[in-house]
Amino acid sequence: MAGDNDNTNTAVEAVGGGDGKKVSRRAFVVGSGAALAGGALATTAHAAAQTTEAPKIQKAVYPRSTKYLVYDSMHCAGCLGCMLACSLVHEGVTSLSLSRIQVHRSVLSKYPLDMQQNVCRQCPDPLCVDNCPTGAAHVSAENGNIRMIDEAKCIGCQTCIKSCPQLPHRTIWNPAKKKSTKCDLCVNTPFYNKKGGPGGAQACVEACPRNALKVVDEMPDQADHRGVAQNDTAGYDRNLQPPAPKMPFGFGPGAKPKGKTGAKPGAKPDAKPDGAPDAKPAPEGKPAASAAPAN
Amino acid sequence: MGTPGFGGKLLVVNLTTKEIIRLDSQEYEKYGGGHGTATALFWEFCVKPGDWDLQDAFDPHNMVSLTVGAMAGTGTPASARTSVSGMSPQCYPIQWFCHSNFGGMFSTMLKMAGWDGVAVIGRAESPVYINIVDDKVTIEDAKSLWGLTTWECQEEIWKRTGVRFGQEWWKLDGGYSLQRPQIVTMGAAGENMTRVASLVHGGGSGAGQGGFGGVFGSKNLKAVAVMGTGSIKIADPKGLKDAREWWDKTWPRGGGFGGFGFGSPGEVTSCCVGCGIPRFCHNRTRVHSKDSDDCAESTWYTLEDRQVPTEVNQRGTDICQQHSINAMETCFMGPMTFDTSHNPSFPIQPKIPAYSALGWYMKKMYDMGVIGPGTKFDTSPLPMEEYGSRNFMEIYGYAIANRVGIGNLLAEGTARFCEKLGRTDDFSTLCRLTMWGFMDHWSMPGVEWAYGNLFDSRDINNHDMSLGRKNGITCEQFVNIMAKRTPPTEDPFWFDYSWEGEQAYKTGIYSEHKAQWVAWHQHYWNYYKESVGFCDWGYSQLYNQAHKEGFGHTPEIEPKYLNAVTGRNHTFEDGLEIGRRAWNLKRAIFVLQGRDKKMEKFTGYYYKPGASYCGYAKELTVYDGSKWEWQNCNELYFTVEGVEKFKDHFYKVEGWNVDNGYPTRKTLEDLDLKPVADTLQSKGKLG
Repeated sequence: MAGDNDNTNTAVEAVGGGDGKKVSRRAFVVGSGAALAGGALATTAHAAAQTTEAPKIQKAVYPRSTKYLVYDSMHCAGCLGCMLACSLVHEGVTSLSLSRIQVHRSVLSKYPLDMQQNVCRQCPDPLCVDNCPTGAAHVSAENGNIRMIDEAKCIGCQTCIKSCPQLPHRTIWNPAKKKSTKCDLCVNTPFYNKKGGPGGAQACVEACPRNALKVVDEMPDQADHRGVAQNDTAGYDRNLQPPAPKMPFGFGPGAKPKGKTGAKPGAKPDAKPDGAPDAKPAPEGKPAASAAPAN
Repeated sequence: MGTPGFGGKLLVVNLTTKEIIRLDSQEYEKYGGGHGTATALFWEFCVKPGDWDLQDAFDPHNMVSLTVGAMAGTGTPASARTSVSGMSPQCYPIQWFCHSNFGGMFSTMLKMAGWDGVAVIGRAESPVYINIVDDKVTIEDAKSLWGLTTWECQEEIWKRTGVRFGQEWWKLDGGYSLQRPQIVTMGAAGENMTRVASLVHGGGSGAGQGGFGGVFGSKNLKAVAVMGTGSIKIADPKGLKDAREWWDKTWPRGGGFGGFGFGSPGEVTSCCVGCGIPRFCHNRTRVHSKDSDDCAESTWYTLEDRQVPTEVNQRGTDICQQHSINAMETCFMGPMTFDTSHNPSFPIQPKIPAYSALGWYMKKMYDMGVIGPGTKFDTSPLPMEEYGSRNFMEIYGYAIANRVGIGNLLAEGTARFCEKLGRTDDFSTLCRLTMWGFMDHWSMPGVEWAYGNLFDSRDINNHDMSLGRKNGITCEQFVNIMAKRTPPTEDPFWFDYSWEGEQAYKTGIYSEHKAQWVAWHQHYWNYYKESVGFCDWGYSQLYNQAHKEGFGHTPEIEPKYLNAVTGRNHTFEDGLEIGRRAWNLKRAIFVLQGRDKKMEKFTGYYYKPGASYCGYAKELTVYDGSKWEWQNCNELYFTVEGVEKFKDHFYKVEGWNVDNGYPTRKTLEDLDLKPVADTLQSKGKLG
């Protein structure tokens, strides 16, 4: 799957989904089930829902997103500026809970496990879309096949949230509106003076002071080191930094403050600018934690 | 919902009565939020009742406040400070109303929970912590947290939530979050009510100066934890985003004071919420990877005569943070030394450390035979023969935090340690204490820092006034730029550092011009920094060498951000006026605590050659009556007569009585502080 980036449409034609959505059998069944209350199809749908593998077994094939938000966990400063910018342009407020990108810090843990960044992966097999009973979660053909949620169609069932295979889930619940939402790469941003979306700007990327966020065209490697696509240790987390210049004072990279010899800030042994296909090294290969003295 | 940008509520917790009071924060907005609001709360709860003498910071009557301004949680760069206010056990000889602040995530989380501040009075019968989850406030038992380090305490409170952070969303009454509660706490130094105890948040964000960790200890208050799932209303979201973008484009980072150019791409810094400078204040990889404080790491266990191994230096920072020891007050010498050999009469030869702090002074006393085995002051448990080692450093920190042996004296802070040794003359010689018991910290030859210390209650620690020589620009061009960036007066003579002859009185360091600049700066920081929450490392910025005209982002960016967030239409000068109000209210508190004109005299060394020997920026702008020149001000020092003349100017500028330094009724009433004037009058202290 990695590196296979064609957007060939192999799904069946949409049935009332619109906007490029390729409706799965299950979605069709669930949708029909509402109309055929008590009927045999509804019973079948119910039985399918009881099996944990039902969504995956019956998933359709969706056109791939043309854009992906990737990040640099090793150089993120944890300022949460991306989160505040996200909620600002989407909701007109700043909020940590409503942000569609989530960064959380564990400041007493060792680098690089002291921070975690969670972005919507724009999954090639978007279970949020696949399982949405109303078509609110959809693949938007007019927006580069981004996986989006149409707030008007969302009934607040949270199926998309329960379906998200990532931990923690990347679909966001807005308790005030009682609607689900998710990263749309800034397509629907009523509080943003710029055109967002796949051909436009992203507030989180703009807000990042560390160049630790970027939107890329190529679908990142979907597998992580454990072969389970639950943590973004695969293609989404990558070195986005240009080479560091030497700084003049006794602070910053390249400078050695008096009495210091062991600081290796940001040292990533195989650090390469974005574009290199390598993923974030596995935890056992993480460089800086071992540079710190034992507690 | 009150004014956009604000949480809308203030929380006052009385630990004696267990009363939880909710106040409408809008009623306090005229004081600016943050420290200004805390000053008003202190007046309301501690001064107005008139039931104590305002002398003992450890008295349960004292209030310690954690307050934030309009910017916290808005994503505005360098604006996530939480102000800490209250009477300070570190101040000497009187424990003045004082302040400190810390960065990190606390201010944002407090705002997300709907609060603009938490103020605590009284004393709990047994250890407690205050737990805030959105609107819900509880006083929780903290007996099992007492004795834990600041890091252990935070970990334990996180454990109590039962949430697997990083794996699952946390469902709370008000909503969901992936975040942890943000906690400010103290360690042994606070529990044992030392005067050098900081408050610590996260791995290394801390409020050191003032000794507020000890005030927590005096209240049996181990921590304040806050978790918020709400949001902050922004009056003009597009305007705020645009302001940020305009700032990014117009003021290149690294070209001015704020930012320094630290934290280049590739560095692994850790920032306060929203910070876009970034200055590399904290590092994700150093000091056991615990979000260390780079400044403390650089200074605390730096020694004069030997190189300390990196791992020992780093461990020293951990000691400070875990025990909550004020790193600056207790450090050994600071980041560098300055030559004094050209002046053989200077008491510290041949080099003077940047900070003659407690660790350095203690060693000096040992070397001089004042303390140590066989003397009146045994140095036990310090293994003096191991000075420089990790073992010595760890015991030094432990002894202070736990008041063990000589640590019990050291825990009183430098000024009181001198006093215990019977060596208060050292204030002006070896210790070089600036005002009110705090050590000198770059206050000279940039005299506005020194004057700020004189009229305030601590080392004002405002780095934005570093006005040293700039390359590629003439002296006259520089002062004209500075004038343009300091409205409304726009007076280039504010920046004249003439210190000798008549010129010093006409336009230099004793002039009315300088008094106006010092007042401007006090009003600026009282509002924009300590109340709004803008960080000292980013604000003010008057000069930026990378800007096409050399302009810094002050005075344009502050109102731009503030108005976008709050929806007000305030000018920069409106902010200065709010700062003046908070500053005058604070002055009234000082006066009631005992401040008057006679007290406001510099420590002796400011009046002698050498006062500027450890200045950070020595080449300053000097006007000789006909032209401007950069001049080396290494020999700048004050005269008694000059300072007295300056005080007259300053009091007049502030509207205070020039005979006693008390605020006048007219000044207070003009600032809508009539009740304050009435109280001062009732105490016979109205100017």
